[in-house]
Amino acid sequence: MTAVFAVAAIAAQGQGGLDHQGVSNRLRQGYGGPPKRSAKAEDPPLRNAGVQRFDTPEPGARSPRNANYDIDVRLDQSARTLSGRETIRWRNISAKPTSELQFHLYWNAWRNAESTWLRERKISRNYTAPRPDGWGAMDVSAVRLREPSGATRDLTSHITFIAPDDGNPEDRSVMAVPLGRSVDPNGTIDVEVVWTAKIPRPVARTGYIEDYYFIAQWFPKLGVLEDSGWNTHQFHAPTEFYADFGVYDVRITVPTPFIVGATGRQTARTANSDGTTTHRYQEQDIHDFAWTASPDYIDLTRTFTHATLPPVEMRLLLQPEHRGQEDRYFSATEAELKRYGEWFAAYPYGHATVVDPAFQSQADGMEYPTFFTGRARLFPSRSRQTPEMTVAHETGHQWWYGMVASNEFEHAWMDEGINTYATARVVDEAFPDNRWELRYFGGLVPWSFPDISYTRLDNDRMAGYRDNAEADIPSTPTFRYWPSTAAIMSYNKTALWLHTLERHLGWPVMQRILSTFFDRWKFRHPQPGDFFQIVNEVSGQDLTWFFDQVYRSSNTFDYGVQELLSDRRDDGTYRTVVIARRYGEATFPVDVVTTFDDGHRVMEKWNGLDRRAIYVYERTSRASHVRIDPQRVLLLDTAYTNNSRTLAPRSGDASLRWAAPWMVWLQDLMVTYAFFL
Amino acid sequence: MRSFFEGWRRVRSAPALLLGVYAVTVVVALPLAISMRGLLQTHLGQSLAAESAAEGVNYDWWQEFSSQATGIGTTFTPTIIGFAATLDTISGVLDGQREVAPIAGTLALYLAAWTFLSGGVIDRYARQRPLGAASFFAASGVHFFRLLRLALVAGAVYWWLFAYVHRWLFREWFVEQTRTMSEEREVFLWRVALYLAFGLMLVVVNVIVDYAKIRVVVEDRRSALSALSAGMRFVWRRAGRVAGLYALNGAVFLILIAVWAFIDPRARGGDLALLVTFLAAQCYLLARLALKLQFLASQTALFQSSLAHAGYVAAPAAVWPESPSAELVRTSAR
Repeated sequence: MTAVFAVAAIAAQGQGGLDHQGVSNRLRQGYGGPPKRSAKAEDPPLRNAGVQRFDTPEPGARSPRNANYDIDVRLDQSARTLSGRETIRWRNISAKPTSELQFHLYWNAWRNAESTWLRERKISRNYTAPRPDGWGAMDVSAVRLREPSGATRDLTSHITFIAPDDGNPEDRSVMAVPLGRSVDPNGTIDVEVVWTAKIPRPVARTGYIEDYYFIAQWFPKLGVLEDSGWNTHQFHAPTEFYADFGVYDVRITVPTPFIVGATGRQTARTANSDGTTTHRYQEQDIHDFAWTASPDYIDLTRTFTHATLPPVEMRLLLQPEHRGQEDRYFSATEAELKRYGEWFAAYPYGHATVVDPAFQSQADGMEYPTFFTGRARLFPSRSRQTPEMTVAHETGHQWWYGMVASNEFEHAWMDEGINTYATARVVDEAFPDNRWELRYFGGLVPWSFPDISYTRLDNDRMAGYRDNAEADIPSTPTFRYWPSTAAIMSYNKTALWLHTLERHLGWPVMQRILSTFFDRWKFRHPQPGDFFQIVNEVSGQDLTWFFDQVYRSSNTFDYGVQELLSDRRDDGTYRTVVIARRYGEATFPVDVVTTFDDGHRVMEKWNGLDRRAIYVYERTSRASHVRIDPQRVLLLDTAYTNNSRTLAPRSGDASLRWAAPWMVWLQDLMVTYAFFL
Repeated sequence: MRSFFEGWRRVRSAPALLLGVYAVTVVVALPLAISMRGLLQTHLGQSLAAESAAEGVNYDWWQEFSSQATGIGTTFTPTIIGFAATLDTISGVLDGQREVAPIAGTLALYLAAWTFLSGGVIDRYARQRPLGAASFFAASGVHFFRLLRLALVAGAVYWWLFAYVHRWLFREWFVEQTRTMSEEREVFLWRVALYLAFGLMLVVVNVIVDYAKIRVVVEDRRSALSALSAGMRFVWRRAGRVAGLYALNGAVFLILIAVWAFIDPRARGGDLALLVTFLAAQCYLLARLALKLQFLASQTALFQSSLAHAGYVAAPAAVWPESPSAELVRTSAR
């Protein structure tokens, strides 16, 4: 009914029409006014102190700053293309010399149907072949090396495409450029790259729809040179990205009516004579840069303040049809800034831009340094999953991904899993009134269930894990996960074992583990072993056995009560037998607590290794019930229902209670179908 | 308008029909509900999870049950709670996504029962006088196979609408039209328009089928196809009145749905609350069934008022009893 009454209201709020190219008429007629910004609309250029411009890293730099990008890019609105030129100052911070550079050309994943990315998508669920406007491409027209003498050497003709992961000759997402000379450790080179890119209709996180643009992974980006060689994976369907830290100075030229948001802070805006405006954004100690442009954004700012944490200017770019949901966006961002700041470390950049993406832009729920997207709907969700959970999660990625820059191709769990776990805690604290919700009528109309709470366990994504617990061994490199269940391993299973670890060690220890991990590995690239080492160190325990179970194995956990007997003996006492069973292959120590009718409780510590543990009690009172893992420490147990058994079961009551509404549902369905006859 | 109120009068005058169709709804649903109870009880077993499930929603257990459920167990989802059940069913029908395979047999049985009873129901409303159970079921039996043939033809038309028209409209045309829209508002309005358009197609078929059924019973037609053709003619020639009546009944449906959405019974509370919730839901279903009967009754009234089958509804001619005194009276009257 809400929807019915909303139709008239919605229809009354008209928007401008579109011309034949899909360009907003409002755009052609000229933007209605300057964007709504705070008084600091045009910041002065960053002062040189602390700002690196292709020098060796300055004192006080947070990161190595070995991959620095100076980029000019122009958006051709009618052709839906980008033209770019970048100068990269790159320093070899590995222990080995190299005579080539390797670049990611991510948009070539949508160049044709034979890319690795699309091949992998085809074998996963929900694959739809790209439409003609869904193809993208990135074409490098020039690569030039600047010699120390100042001359440039053209390397364009030496470009090759490589496929280090699967040898797919059709995949062009990795470009190798021989330099013709060696770059020693700590050596620095300047490379100029000129390219054009065809912007796709949204495929995965990037593209255009009408005159809305979200541009990510849009420039040729260097891989990471490690001691073992270049780590430049092809673009795979289940993976994200990996790059080195540096300073970014980016000038984005778009039609003047567009409002632009991007990584970093805007330091200049220049109106050009051709009806375009160049927006300059700069930031340091980041490893990626994304931007968005649309004439329709509502531009809002607020400042996060805290007694002990530095202030953060929050900029929200909101879709007009989501007006009224800005408070939800800001409160979610603040909740994450506050708690992550208190638990792990203060957010250091001083500003963050949150984007409310356009409908069907496929840009929702994604993170970039100081810049991330949420998700809101026309009919606001009463649940806290959108936008709150999404915004909080992407804010959290500023720590886990943005600053602790693990390799998302190989160990996606290190950012997605840690962030999912920690954000679930944030949302549970900050938004306790989170209720379950479903969407009907094409996914457009929400209906919330006030009797079903969205718990922290739900935000650890227990349901998805339970159905796919054995999908992969988590230690498998992410790009080799089965595409349709890769997220389950990275997000769900990791969040659950981290939460299990929290329950096992206690939150204070867990918080110290994560803050130590952050402190040691911020602005660096940790490996899984680095995390496990810190867990052992901070907890004071060798938890290798735990990681063997949850990380190096796909075995599942399932402990249950096989039997509970409590028989009266001739002398009036009771002989109680409890049989605890390990049904799964993975092991974990669990408590077995037997409660008797007289209120007495006996707790046994079972190491969980054997298939069974049998406990016998002879007492004057009959047993009431037994629970395995009553505190539910082991969240990875796929069947918690069998963890308990009572001698006075209420399954009859429970089943009657729920069979009744089910019967009503069935009757309702039958009566509805009877309409047709 | 007159037919609308006449329909309600006829429904009120035959409460046994309403109770009867309601009883069928209960009788058909109950065995499956008992099976579902068994599944739930088996899964809960002697677990303490049943304690919290007996008091309210234990969603953790619920999800665990769903992950291993098969058959009718797969239909045990949160959508069974309160108004969500109605919303889910209507949404599923309009989106062509209602998965009924687990309950297909029960649903088919119910629809067959409705088809059987329809003959007696229309006959009773047409005659406008108590018939008694024997006459009711006799009329149902007489018309059953005709109405069944009609139902099969109608079913084929509905199947074609969903399998081809709906699919083209919503999965091809709608997707193509809206794929470049960046505002959810626009997409929503288009979808509403398509729901109205497709809904209108369903309504047209439903109306024609209803009047075809009425003509089968009232005019004692044997041919389903001729009844359909006659139904179409009737609707075509009196489109305004037919549409107006359908709209009035449809408005009552919307009001009923809105009221139920407002009530939206919750899933928590003790045994008394559970009982009240269940009874409220049964009252809602009674109201839905009464409305379904109202559709038939009012359409029958409209049909009869249009084609003046007055003789059909007249009381039967008096029959003298066989006795000498009656014979004397009869012969004296000549």
